[in-house]
Amino acid sequence: MNKVTTIFLVLATLVILSAMAAITFGPANIDSAELIACLVGNCQNPIANIVIWQVRIPRVLVALVAGMGLAIAGAILQNTTRNPLADPYLFGIVSGAGLGATIANISLADNLTVALPLAAFLGALFSVIIVVFIAKVLQRMEQLLLAGVAVSFMLGSVTQFILYFGEPFATNRVIFWLMGSLARVEMANFYVIASVLIVAIVTVIALHRQIDALLLGDESAASLGVDVDKLRLLMLGVCAALTATIVAYCGGIGFVGLMIPHIVRQLIGVTTLKLIIGSALIGAIFLIWVDVIARSSLPHAEIPIGIITSALGSIFFLFIMYRSRAIN
Amino acid sequence: MSTLLNISQLSWQVQNKAILKNINFNVRKGEVIGIIGPNGAGKTSLLRCITNQNNILASANVTGNVQLKNRAITQYSAKEIAQHFALVMQKNDSIFALSVQDVMKMGLLPHKSLFSLDSDHDKAQINLALKKVGLDQALQNSFNQLSGGEQQRVLIARALVQASQVLILDEPTNHLDVYYQHQVLQLVNKLNITVIMTVHDLNLASLYCQRLILLNQGQLICDGSPEEVLTPKQVSQVFGLPCQQSIDAMTGATQVSFYLPETSMHTSLFSESLDE
Repeated sequence: MNKVTTIFLVLATLVILSAMAAITFGPANIDSAELIACLVGNCQNPIANIVIWQVRIPRVLVALVAGMGLAIAGAILQNTTRNPLADPYLFGIVSGAGLGATIANISLADNLTVALPLAAFLGALFSVIIVVFIAKVLQRMEQLLLAGVAVSFMLGSVTQFILYFGEPFATNRVIFWLMGSLARVEMANFYVIASVLIVAIVTVIALHRQIDALLLGDESAASLGVDVDKLRLLMLGVCAALTATIVAYCGGIGFVGLMIPHIVRQLIGVTTLKLIIGSALIGAIFLIWVDVIARSSLPHAEIPIGIITSALGSIFFLFIMYRSRAIN
Repeated sequence: MSTLLNISQLSWQVQNKAILKNINFNVRKGEVIGIIGPNGAGKTSLLRCITNQNNILASANVTGNVQLKNRAITQYSAKEIAQHFALVMQKNDSIFALSVQDVMKMGLLPHKSLFSLDSDHDKAQINLALKKVGLDQALQNSFNQLSGGEQQRVLIARALVQASQVLILDEPTNHLDVYYQHQVLQLVNKLNITVIMTVHDLNLASLYCQRLILLNQGQLICDGSPEEVLTPKQVSQVFGLPCQQSIDAMTGATQVSFYLPETSMHTSLFSESLDE
């Protein structure tokens, strides 16, 4: 067995162990014997059964697939744009989702459970369509990222304008939602995110050689028979769908797509197949444990998960900058 | 030798400026052809048209025909073109730390279907190609950390894995020192496949190419053996400097050397004084 396969097996084991360990954390006091009994369908305590099957397991599973999805979206985007700083969030996806959520909050008082994620998804998709449209007009990849940043600020300012004049209660709801949280996720959310994730992974595995060919430049890829523009647009669409679905249910969780592929490149390799498998596994472990910190570090409250990922991400990047300075 | 490529009446015009003007020539199997000419002569543009990069022949600005094996190149899919032509570019850095093996695997792409993984045969092909270019120990090395000459050799090996019939090289000796220039061109010559390359150095082109095509301002000025193409009259007209032709005593190759005539030795080649 080679080194890469061994690393993948170790990481896959860690994902399973992390998910199992994460189920034991939570405000309800359930001991390990009760936990195992409930997991094997022999639960004596109905409240513990509900807490485990309807609260903890969906939450851990959503953390698992959201971590995988965000990390994979970052990895795909970085390889297809040849930019290690590319991140789905740079394409205005969160700002678009924020705008959608704001409009839903202000205009609809009821049915927000369905309307909020749906509006967020539509908003995210709307922002990506604008960015892709600009990219098609400009036909330049480096300007695509700048266009994404511009669209992000534009939609952000519209959101802030609406919130400024909006009802304070709705404003609060939107702001908390944008900070990211897995507190209200359900099993149905897991199925939706997992389905999009499977489609994304299958698409990337099918096209991994084409994406790899881009790593040595567009001209080199075209000479190997790759339709560079089509491939890039397809991959941007895959990333948008993946991120928009996750953001719609979990709110804004930044830095995962930026940070995890960076670690995988150092540990495993830069080519697409290694990068997405590694990113999926490390992304899952990362988000499962960040969610554990989010729900168990304060006695009677939760910390929004986006605050923790952003804090960890920024420290991580300062560390990377310091290390590369030391190496240079 | 059978005709592999036929280029006829090829013209490319962009905003009233002719990039290529009525180019006609054939390429026979096994030939090593050098495309020479000053900057902006249309050398790289000609390569782009021959390989129909980005489907350029479908553009309204381009007229004429390029035929590969008696079939219009526009009828070939991008994948089929990649099975026939392998391209070695001037600049190949990657921002990510690719290994030599990663770069070599790219060469397999035109022969692979979706979802396909590497077979033992693929690995053997990669090792064989690297051995041919003398880099069989470098499989796990970082591509970016290789010298310019070694990078070119890896890309030539990638072209061998691509198993295409024509090797296209755009300025393969740019940024290389004298030793690596000769090493890369010797290697290209030994491969026994059809080669079309743009070369800046006329003497290197003469030494390693059986046939030269001289371009100037998008026009084909001369097509023939180095001796026929590198005549003092043609070369000085195209490059704007007087020159003389000689035969190299060691290699027997036609060589040209440029000189500034006595009267212009101390005259600036700039049309306006630099002091102003």
